[in-house]
Amino acid sequence: MSAVLGLSAYYHDSAAALVVDGEVVAAMQEERFSRRKNDASLPKQAALACLSHVGLKAQDLDRVVFYEDPFARLERVMLASLRTFPRSWRQFPGAMRAQLSSKIWVLDSIASMLGVERRKVVTASHHRSHAASAFFASPYERAAILTVDGVGEEVSTAIWQGDGASLRCLGAIEYPHSLGLLYAALTAYLGFEVNEGEYKVMGLAAFGDPCFEEEFAKLLKLRPDGGFELGLPYFAFHTDTDIAFSAKLEELLGPRRPHAKAWNLKTSREDQRYADIAASLQQATEEAMLALAREARRRTGCDDLCLAGGVALNCVANARLLKESGFTRVFVQPAAGDAGGALGAAMLGSIELDGARPRPMTTAALGLPLSNGAVRSLADRLGLDYACPADPLGAAAELISQDKVLALARGRFEWGPRALGQRSILAAPQSADMRERLNRVIKKREPFRPFAPAVLRDRADDWFSGHDNDMTPFMTTTAQVSERRAADLGAVTHVDGTARVQTVSAAGAPDFCQLLRELDARSGAPIALNTSLNGNGEPIVASEADAIGFFMSHPVDAMLLEDVLFTRR
Amino acid sequence: MSALLAKIVNPIVWRIPGHGARKLYGFSLAEHGSMLDLKAAARLTSSPERAAAYLRHMLDETRHAQMFALRSGELRVQAGLPSLGFPNADIENLFERLGEIRFLAFVHRGECRGRQQFETYRDWFARNGDNKTRAMFDAIVRDEVRHETYTRELLVELTGGEAEARRELAKAALWEAWRTWRRMGRFVAETLYFAVMVLVYGLLAPFVVVGAIARPAPKGWTTPPAEAEADARLAKP
Repeated sequence: MSAVLGLSAYYHDSAAALVVDGEVVAAMQEERFSRRKNDASLPKQAALACLSHVGLKAQDLDRVVFYEDPFARLERVMLASLRTFPRSWRQFPGAMRAQLSSKIWVLDSIASMLGVERRKVVTASHHRSHAASAFFASPYERAAILTVDGVGEEVSTAIWQGDGASLRCLGAIEYPHSLGLLYAALTAYLGFEVNEGEYKVMGLAAFGDPCFEEEFAKLLKLRPDGGFELGLPYFAFHTDTDIAFSAKLEELLGPRRPHAKAWNLKTSREDQRYADIAASLQQATEEAMLALAREARRRTGCDDLCLAGGVALNCVANARLLKESGFTRVFVQPAAGDAGGALGAAMLGSIELDGARPRPMTTAALGLPLSNGAVRSLADRLGLDYACPADPLGAAAELISQDKVLALARGRFEWGPRALGQRSILAAPQSADMRERLNRVIKKREPFRPFAPAVLRDRADDWFSGHDNDMTPFMTTTAQVSERRAADLGAVTHVDGTARVQTVSAAGAPDFCQLLRELDARSGAPIALNTSLNGNGEPIVASEADAIGFFMSHPVDAMLLEDVLFTRR
Repeated sequence: MSALLAKIVNPIVWRIPGHGARKLYGFSLAEHGSMLDLKAAARLTSSPERAAAYLRHMLDETRHAQMFALRSGELRVQAGLPSLGFPNADIENLFERLGEIRFLAFVHRGECRGRQQFETYRDWFARNGDNKTRAMFDAIVRDEVRHETYTRELLVELTGGEAEARRELAKAALWEAWRTWRRMGRFVAETLYFAVMVLVYGLLAPFVVVGAIARPAPKGWTTPPAEAEADARLAKP
């Protein structure tokens, strides 16, 4: 027997993943426990939860693998400071403090946090961990792998080849040339929070026209060999701590958008210009990703592609890769960002110990479960009324079919940033008014943000095209809404006619599948609007207390918490 | 003490353009931090009754954080200032660090201080005709009174009597003073550290040329040597 714990931490989205005898038995993000969105601290609670879920103690672990080499990262930080001397004088003290105060001691910190022997704690490189999380979680025996994010130790982008239990790096592009940092800089320019607002930029892009193509050619230069370079004078992430872009970018694209200003895409020409910039950024990113994918195909000769890194969460780009890169199949596991590094690190450790490849990921429900007893006990003490229907999923479907907004928390919570039916807010997908209600009243977010549909896999053909692939079970790509069905899916069809569809099967999510069947029987559509069960700026609900807290502070109509149904009077 | 200080500085604080927005944002951050600590307390306490009490308190703190953030945003827009961002506090893990009794004493002291301070602000806004902000402080003060009461009751229950509860409150006051002292120390150390590191940065100047020759900035595709070694390791498990 081998038990390997993988950990990611100290940048954003810290997480823990546990592989026992080649099977991913648990994987969780620290934010679900600490309740701090994108929590980057050492994932102590997540690690202990992974272990306790399968009845192991830290001392039972054969290996703990951290997803990055801290000394390689320190070397890159120092070299980058030299290369940008003297412009990086403001960044240097902070960067060195972060490295020297905690990051280079991370392996010792992990050993003492878990109470394991220091020799058991090892590292795998950042991009190798990403690549492993993508390939070994996939169903492919042989595939090209693209890892694209902000930056790891020194690499920002890499092409790999996966074959059985082996992984080979075929080429890399190094910092500061980075698609992730380009997207982050423009996210900040558009007035959103970096590492949080990238989804918003992607949603906003559909409202714009990519008319800043010429300007973006200066920001991102594609090379004939599939690589790319950034126009560094337009950026400041490599010299400054507080700002990711330089004054030159504002000269090129106009003044930045003030942070958190309300959006008005209907009448504000200024906001329309920002939407055009978002569209141009999205187009430039897609073109760069396509060039990388074609180069990966040329170098590997593989038919299948796996993607990881923060940029792989760009589901619009992923759809284009599947369509235009020449690969037959594309796979992106649900936590493709930094959290996923923990999964890859654990898988790499498992292969080194067992010599065999871990089994592919079939479900994202890898978190902690809920207990009916705990739900009832807490509800009793809070004086909440509830019911325990004989057919809870049927009751939930009935409420949704009556146009009620239902919070659903059932089973183990999801791995990654997407709610996939274990911690979801569900509603009828038909009316655009529902989108307005959810955006404005419950989620309190920008009006242009789309909602995703969850559909029974075996019925998806009736409603969507381009959905039959390995990404839709994890909601990491988009599909086209059938033209004849667009009017029936007003709440989940984005302005460009696409939807970030999740296909649901009994194998991956049995309860959610049953709920959609019940919904189909009542409404004639096996589809629900599915958005994450969290308030604005909060992590997705994990525990019974989180869920009840959410219900008490947000105006959803009902909540099914395991088998316990709460309805608002 | 905090109420007295608030009374003295009120006329200055609330009249400086934009400062009120920043102050309310600070309150929002404090309420958010308190919410995170109560959330952890609800999870860690051994008593389901106290878990429910902490959860109720947490919901109030969440609401307060939202109210402060909302009003801060309105004042900010009036003053024509840029956004201060979404309030996202740091977690101090106070329940784990202090234990339940000291944690309760700490929360009780915080609620008491907050209530006194907010009463002063409420009265000041009432006198100056800002009914919106007055009403907000008024609503929050009512919650703070309830929090003060229940934390005191729990403290007495857990310590076994009034005298013990008072002793715990005194110890919590000492701990707070120690924390303030350490924060001041950290601030001084950080300032010094920054100055020293800027000097160190200056000393790097001669190495810039060496670095440029030995390790030039890469462009295009490279093959990191560390990855080649790792490839080989994985190929032969």
